[in-house]
Amino acid sequence: MILTALADGSQHGYGIINEVAEISGNRVRLRAGTLYTALDRLRADGLIDVDREEVVDNRLRRYYRLTPEGGRRLAAEAARLQANAHAAMKRLSPAHGVI
Amino acid sequence: MNEAIALERGYRRLVAWYPRSFRQDNEEEILTVLMATAREGQQRPRIGESWDLLRGALRMRMNLSRTPRTILAAVRLMYAGAIAELAVLVIFALTASSIRADVIARNPHVTAATLSYISAHIFLDWISIPVAIVFWVWMAWANGKGYDWARLVSVACFALNTMSLIVSLSQDAAAYAPALVIASAVTWGIGLAAVTLLFCKPSWRYYEQQVAQR
Repeated sequence: MILTALADGSQHGYGIINEVAEISGNRVRLRAGTLYTALDRLRADGLIDVDREEVVDNRLRRYYRLTPEGGRRLAAEAARLQANAHAAMKRLSPAHGVI
Repeated sequence: MNEAIALERGYRRLVAWYPRSFRQDNEEEILTVLMATAREGQQRPRIGESWDLLRGALRMRMNLSRTPRTILAAVRLMYAGAIAELAVLVIFALTASSIRADVIARNPHVTAATLSYISAHIFLDWISIPVAIVFWVWMAWANGKGYDWARLVSVACFALNTMSLIVSLSQDAAAYAPALVIASAVTWGIGLAAVTLLFCKPSWRYYEQQVAQR
């Protein structure tokens, strides 16, 4: 979800929380502790990197962006999920009354 | 205004549980997010926030977050290598006494010099196998901590292990001590996998970060 939130541009921590909430339809609301543990892990794995830092109202904002490796990982994961969804829809034949 | 000051102080107390290196890099930024996500009029951290921060701090303290999966896998493999090496020691203890007799039985004209060489080799193995167990555990610990030198020592150990296995095979050890050679080959395979993981791209980045922080 964090990688998806960064897919169309860099975001700061609070921005990522809002993006994730929007993507998930408000089902996922990241807390700061969880977010920064995940960001630390993603940075260690080389999937994201710091883009820039800004100070707004005396508060530090650090923007994160996807690395090329992060982009590839997200694309691969999205393709995998799409294939799974496609397979599920195909099996839910009209006989089940779904399609 | 006083509410915000009290709230920030409460958050800082919780963030203080994180490791110093993490706080130096992230404290102000986490506080920015915590203050931005706080509710209007909130005076102290909520239970859910406190639990989330303490859990995050614990994960950081246990180094579960920063260590890439490749390093974690390499460390697990090294502990597995120590266990495999222990199996080598047990097999060696059970078969060492019969190796010399087996050589004589298969080669009735074996020279005294060859028998002396075999005895010396067995003596050296009694020393080198326990040392190898210690090295496996030491390397698992040091690589898990992100010491760059540990990677080089691990490669050197693997090179020694490879040479030892080649020498054993060239001396027909498979005929005299097949179980020992199989167990040694297993430890060699574990070593190869561990060293490969230590030199993966995420591992490189991790060691570089650790070196920069020290």
